[in-house]
Amino acid sequence: MPAEIEISCVINGELVKARVQPAERLVDLLRERLGLKGTKTGCEEGDCGACTVLVDGVAVNSCLFPAVEAAGRAVTTIEGLQGTNGELHPAVKAFVELGAVQCGFCTPGMILRAWAFVGENPNPTEDQIRRSVEGNICRCTGYVKIIDAVRRLVDEGVER
Amino acid sequence: MSASECRNYHRPTSLREALALMAGSEVPLWPVAGGTDLLVKDHRRQMPPGPWEMMSLKHVPELNGIAKDGDAIRIGGAVTMRELAADALLGERLPVLALAADHMASPQIRAVATIGGNMANASPAADLAVPLLLLEAEVELASCGGESGPNLRRVPLADFFTGPGTTQRTKNELLRALVIPAPPAGMRFASHKPGTRPAMVCAHASAGLGLLMDGETVADARVAFGALADRPIRGPKTEAALRGQTLDEKSLERASEAARQEVSPISDVRGSETYRRELAASLVRRLIRACRD
Amino acid sequence: MSKADDTAQKIPRDSLIGRRIPKLDGPERATGRTVYIHDLVRPRMLHGAICRTDRIHAKILSVNTARARSLPGVKTVITAADIENVPFGHGRDNYALKGDKVTCQRDEIAAVAAETEEIAREACRLIEVEYEDLPPVFDAHEALKPGAPVIHEKRGDNVPFRYDYAHGDVEAAEQESDVVLEDTFHLQFVTHCCMGSSGILAEFDARGNLTLWSLTQVPFLYQRDMSRIVGIPPEKIRVIQTTIGGGFGSKLDIYPFEPIAVHLARAAGRPVRLLFNRREEFIASPTRQPTEIKLRCGAKKDGTLTFRDAHLIHDNGGRTSWGATTPFVMMHCFSSLYRVPNVRFHTTVVNTNNPYSGSMRGYGNLQATFAVESQLDRLAEELGIEPLELRLKNSLEQGETTGQGMYLETCGQRECLETATSSAGWAEKHGRMLAPEPHLKRGIGLASMVHVGGGAKIYHSDGCGTILKADDYANFTLLTGSSEIGQGSETVLAMIVAEVLGVPLDRIKVINDDTAVTPWDVGVHASRTTFVAGNSAKGAAEKARAKLLSAAAELLDLPADQLDIRRGQVVRAEDGEVLIELGKVIRKLHFSKKFETVITEHYYEPSSKMQDREFKGNVSPTYAFGTHVVEVEVDTETGVVRPLKVTAAHDVGRVLNRLGIEGQVEGGVAMGLGYGLTEELQVHEGRVQNPDFRDYKLITAPEMPEVEMHFIETNAPEGPFGAKGVGEAPAICVAPALANAVYDATGIRLRRLPLNPERVLLSLRAGREVLPEEMP
Repeated sequence: MPAEIEISCVINGELVKARVQPAERLVDLLRERLGLKGTKTGCEEGDCGACTVLVDGVAVNSCLFPAVEAAGRAVTTIEGLQGTNGELHPAVKAFVELGAVQCGFCTPGMILRAWAFVGENPNPTEDQIRRSVEGNICRCTGYVKIIDAVRRLVDEGVER
Repeated sequence: MSASECRNYHRPTSLREALALMAGSEVPLWPVAGGTDLLVKDHRRQMPPGPWEMMSLKHVPELNGIAKDGDAIRIGGAVTMRELAADALLGERLPVLALAADHMASPQIRAVATIGGNMANASPAADLAVPLLLLEAEVELASCGGESGPNLRRVPLADFFTGPGTTQRTKNELLRALVIPAPPAGMRFASHKPGTRPAMVCAHASAGLGLLMDGETVADARVAFGALADRPIRGPKTEAALRGQTLDEKSLERASEAARQEVSPISDVRGSETYRRELAASLVRRLIRACRD
Repeated sequence: MSKADDTAQKIPRDSLIGRRIPKLDGPERATGRTVYIHDLVRPRMLHGAICRTDRIHAKILSVNTARARSLPGVKTVITAADIENVPFGHGRDNYALKGDKVTCQRDEIAAVAAETEEIAREACRLIEVEYEDLPPVFDAHEALKPGAPVIHEKRGDNVPFRYDYAHGDVEAAEQESDVVLEDTFHLQFVTHCCMGSSGILAEFDARGNLTLWSLTQVPFLYQRDMSRIVGIPPEKIRVIQTTIGGGFGSKLDIYPFEPIAVHLARAAGRPVRLLFNRREEFIASPTRQPTEIKLRCGAKKDGTLTFRDAHLIHDNGGRTSWGATTPFVMMHCFSSLYRVPNVRFHTTVVNTNNPYSGSMRGYGNLQATFAVESQLDRLAEELGIEPLELRLKNSLEQGETTGQGMYLETCGQRECLETATSSAGWAEKHGRMLAPEPHLKRGIGLASMVHVGGGAKIYHSDGCGTILKADDYANFTLLTGSSEIGQGSETVLAMIVAEVLGVPLDRIKVINDDTAVTPWDVGVHASRTTFVAGNSAKGAAEKARAKLLSAAAELLDLPADQLDIRRGQVVRAEDGEVLIELGKVIRKLHFSKKFETVITEHYYEPSSKMQDREFKGNVSPTYAFGTHVVEVEVDTETGVVRPLKVTAAHDVGRVLNRLGIEGQVEGGVAMGLGYGLTEELQVHEGRVQNPDFRDYKLITAPEMPEVEMHFIETNAPEGPFGAKGVGEAPAICVAPALANAVYDATGIRLRRLPLNPERVLLSLRAGREVLPEEMP
């Protein structure tokens, strides 16, 4: 039997202790063990971005990220993007209101990447905006409204 | 739970500890920096059969950082694409490398994938290989040594690759750093990975050029090709075709013809041999224009 | 509101129609709360996996499952020997598990249910199969030759279907033509790439009733067909649709994994969930059918089209699904895209050992339109007539019946052509575009399409049922047979009901996912949901409105025709003065002496007709038209074709949800660009070579050009508020507009898709189209 490693990390603001296997993927820890089903698996090879989560605020593919490497770090999944006063989180709101959601399967990963991007690039160029979700595939929307949502988040400015 | 045969995880916090673990391991010990290739392989059950262990390189300070080393620049093996793309020193001194890092894979992968992993995996299409070959980078390999510290050796990158997926790195060696000597003053660099999109693409061909002009004449030229042979290569014949020439239509034609001849691409799902040779020729023309104008 | 109130509240009449309404289920989806099949877990659930053939065409000699059965955690292993194998699919040539022979890479030989997915997949690897290889055939032309290996022996040859259609007299028309052209077009394998992969969960209750959590987009036909396949009476099958992570036509048929899950659940006595991983999704889910189209056409000197003569060969693959029936839709294009007095159409559907195709957004129309619109540009050049002029000259008009019997009660074709081209600056740009650098060339191209806009009557009913139920607080639950597959039907149906009833949108709840609850519907296809389910919902809402207004009239002692409902209040129609809250009317009806609740139902059957034996007749109550103008930049050094802008004009009847319809157009354009430029499922000797997103290239965000949209509102008289269906339309005419633009830029006519960098560059170098078989 493989050794299990005990890790502590902060997931969506809460301290989580878990015993993980050495090559366990972060996505499996999140979905299968912690029940955070908002993180989707679209390809399991890093090609589609559906499993995107934030680790210390940076977007990564949770299908390529060893769960053990989450130790001591802060992980944010879509369940962690909460708005204030019962409202939707601004990134979620932008996607919903601007029609950037169709089947919704790519949406949680797309939103997390968009949110990280806006945090990292307060004044992005047009080219950077268009490339912001280059690692996330959407089959439904044609991306136009997704890029609209990213642009709205840029224009609104990000208060964190 | 996972059917992985990975039996243990190690988290060394110094190079010495990492190398000792490698030397002392009874089962294959896979160093992991980003993990972007390994976890996919494991999940697809493409790892060599039998138990193995994983060693994280994320916490080894000697493998991190981008710094001046005399005239050279040292880049730790665990430096990520994201760090390369954003680094101010590289942006100023070696933009051709920073740009290639920015055009690799996706932002999510760039956040974790490393320069060491990209080189050690030795894909013929490895995105950073073309600029690093142009820059005549050397690979610094470390293995477990005595009291005085690790054994180190340096291998020119052009010799480091030995075939698709294979390198000169031996089982107990770690890719500690890429060392990039200062390029000749005035040499201009450009590289290009054609495709329908800037990133998120496995190159079907890529090329880079370094051009040093002496007035109207080419004083020196460096050419590198990706995905155009069984490993990333330099293009000595194309270089020779350029040296000492003025960059008129005739010499452009000769250089691009030399490129077409000297690459040895395969036909696969990403493109035919004919197309790849055609691209090699095209790219050389394009890069000459980019470096000249 | 007290009657004594001096300042009585007044509500103006307002309308939801044409507004930008975000999807009602958007917040659930965007916050990750929506439960997809991958997220659904039932108590004691097992995980299924399928052992597929590793041969392409072979007899199965033996299957040894002993090692798989002894793997710890394995509950059940089944092979063809363990089940009643009932043939299914349009050609009745598919089986849940293959017992005698395999005919393509997808074929299922055994299946496992185990405690985890990993164990189930591992067990599949331990199943040993002995084969006797049979000679394969991968090329449809080869498969037609005498002596070719016969893939389904019972049939005697490799041609399960032929389609022949004609109107007018093609031969006579050819004699009278001043110009005759012939071209051969090749269309590739592409596939849906739904982001949520295929899956199903099957569970039996203690009384032997089967519940299926399924992704089907045709739940009622599925219930009926599944019954026959697994030998369970339909009344004992309940189909619950879990949220679909993308449809695009992929879930129109039953595929083997679905009865397999049922057989596993029955054998194991526990619920079984079976999911595809991405590689399986690429290898084992349906494709758009690859087609070779030999097309001839003629015209008079003045540009009047005289005839079209199309001969098609469909590679049907190793088995038959709906892909074999796409000629039905293709012939609409050949017969009725522009006015053509004489048309002949012949399709041979040929079995090979390649993957088999299903239905995909557009249903054959992408292939047909690529051929017709590419050739029209050639014809324009041959005639010396400007391409737009040629199309306008032959444009269909309102009131016309096409040669195939399609009655165009409304027709926006001319307006689509004029609007798209004038907005795009066609006149200034065609043949005149300049690129910023010498190695780049720019061009502009256009193409149009016609597609059914209100379903297609291929069964005796193309209808949809609705039940509308009010609660005591004036919330309304819409029970519709029509499913949501991500396209936004839930929102548009709720809008229609809210509009009719005069209540706020958030008062409407839509239930659309359970055969035990919802009324019958034929399914989501043929761009029919907004039109057919919309009319059904509208009918039910109108009945409820009538009942509510008559109850209110009685309460208020006013004539019903002087009342209106606005924002959930009964008001005086004349000035909007609030008279009584709607919930109160319902409660009065319920709890006073009448004891009535407000529940209405409506079944809407479109006026369309089934086509006759010659494939003629008005198959849809309305038709959608569209024109796309595409501008491209071709990099002559790398062959990369970059779309710069798409200008689209669509006759949508009437815009209901502007946000939703824009999303359909943008998504369709992206799918069309992929079809035209980057997507190709590469199949070599029957095996998919690129079963991942790395090498099967979908369009990504940075590749997406600007999309300018114009909606032509022709107000279909039968449509709900005048709307037509547009789900498929925007994907259809992108590729030919691209090819025409590349021709405008480079002078090279490309007749095979996709226009990927390799094909473009080698063709530019050769000065003519270079086909893949010419490449070394």
